[in-house]
Amino acid sequence: MLFNFREKLNSSKFLVTAEVSPPKGTKFSVSLEDVRQLKGIADAINVTDNQCSIMHMSSLAFSKLLLDAGHEPIMQLTCRDRNRIGLQSDLLGAYALGIRNICVMTGDFPSCGDHPGSKPVYDLDSVQLLQLVRKLDSGINFTGNRLDGGTSFCAGAVSGIDPEKPLQLIKLEKKVRCGADFIQTQAVYDVGMFEEFMEAISHIEVPVIAGLIPLKSLGMAEFMNRNISGVHVPEEIMLRIKDAPDPVEEGLSIASETIKEITKLSRGVHIMPVGSHKNTARLLSMAGISGK
Amino acid sequence: MIITSAKPLEEILNLLQDEDDIFIIGCNVCAAKLKTGGEPEVLEMIRQLEKNGKHIVGWALPTAACSVRSFDSLVQKNEKITEARCILVMGCGSGVSTVASVTEVPVFGSNDTLSLGGSSEGKLLLDQCKMCGKCTIGEFGGICPKSRCPKGLLNGPCGGAIDGMCEVNRENDCVWTLIYNRLKKINRLDLLYTVHAPQEHRVD
Repeated sequence: MLFNFREKLNSSKFLVTAEVSPPKGTKFSVSLEDVRQLKGIADAINVTDNQCSIMHMSSLAFSKLLLDAGHEPIMQLTCRDRNRIGLQSDLLGAYALGIRNICVMTGDFPSCGDHPGSKPVYDLDSVQLLQLVRKLDSGINFTGNRLDGGTSFCAGAVSGIDPEKPLQLIKLEKKVRCGADFIQTQAVYDVGMFEEFMEAISHIEVPVIAGLIPLKSLGMAEFMNRNISGVHVPEEIMLRIKDAPDPVEEGLSIASETIKEITKLSRGVHIMPVGSHKNTARLLSMAGISGK
Repeated sequence: MIITSAKPLEEILNLLQDEDDIFIIGCNVCAAKLKTGGEPEVLEMIRQLEKNGKHIVGWALPTAACSVRSFDSLVQKNEKITEARCILVMGCGSGVSTVASVTEVPVFGSNDTLSLGGSSEGKLLLDQCKMCGKCTIGEFGGICPKSRCPKGLLNGPCGGAIDGMCEVNRENDCVWTLIYNRLKKINRLDLLYTVHAPQEHRVD
């Protein structure tokens, strides 16, 4: 690896990140095999942290498994399951194991997942967690005590892309003020909306990596519009999926066209396929993006 | 006002299955307002328990179950309490524990305690305050995100709201939308740019 993710963020390279989930259990070979398809394609791999509040192997442990297999992980870290002590302890552990990139977020409420009665923590929010990361980076813990060895994280956060949601834009601004090195966004289907979003945050100087979820069916598109905050699949795309003989192929075509348009607007693309990465390499080549 | 709701009778009967000679203490403040522990509810409870074979030795309705000064003050209200082998308090959890602090006999509660709220224009307002100590409600236009956002976020909404409705319960407004609208109305949107430190949970 000539460059690590942090160096690439500061270069002019168009970035590709991709999302994977740790296994739900101790057998990790299938998940690792899925990631292997991204070798030479993705600049870094986001590892989800009990996404949708569904219990999986820890993002820290799976990030370390990725590191050992020669990938560069971005460990996702939510505020849902740990208080400020647990968050710091995991961050120090991750750093000691060689994990250098993290991406912080609030985390879905437990009632969305498979342990709906569990106690939600949210001791910190994502803005405060970024502040905490910067403290660890400066060699002190949350309460100001000196650490026996600090961290040096490349820390990112997430954002919706609806320019009509001022609260989301203000929160994004706070995340940047509190030290976010990069922003990964919610899935983009409406390039016009994304363009307006980028215009609305043009004063924010931080690399924005646009999220992408290839559509697989009309039902999936309808579900996204109904249930995923800030996602807008335009009517024209709905019709294309509806009329396509092979909706999965059509979804890839739409995604590749979106990527082509996004290259002019953002610093990179973040691929979040539901299920597996078996089509990710083909998608990127359809979009004209070669390996790293 | 402490918001309570009455437990189902079966649950109360189950609590009292090995008990008899029961004294009932209502609460003439919050529980009376919410009809979970005022005089009509106490009398109805007596009827129901007697119907199920329980002996009620007496009852009392102090101003507030949570401000009972001593066992003697309860005796002054109704000396039958000295004959009680157990006490059922029809107030909030604070009322039950206050009564339990002045007596040796078993004390049970007939209500579930939901939150600190209020009532206005005939509507019940849940979760208006979390009683967390240092109060920052003034920085949010008088709407408390610590109590009304299920995640208690202080620096803006999570990404889960859809059309201004909360991720956790789609029937509820996202409190951050309410905060935004209020601050806009009073021309204080500048407050949204403050980076708030995490809540301190230290107990001194």
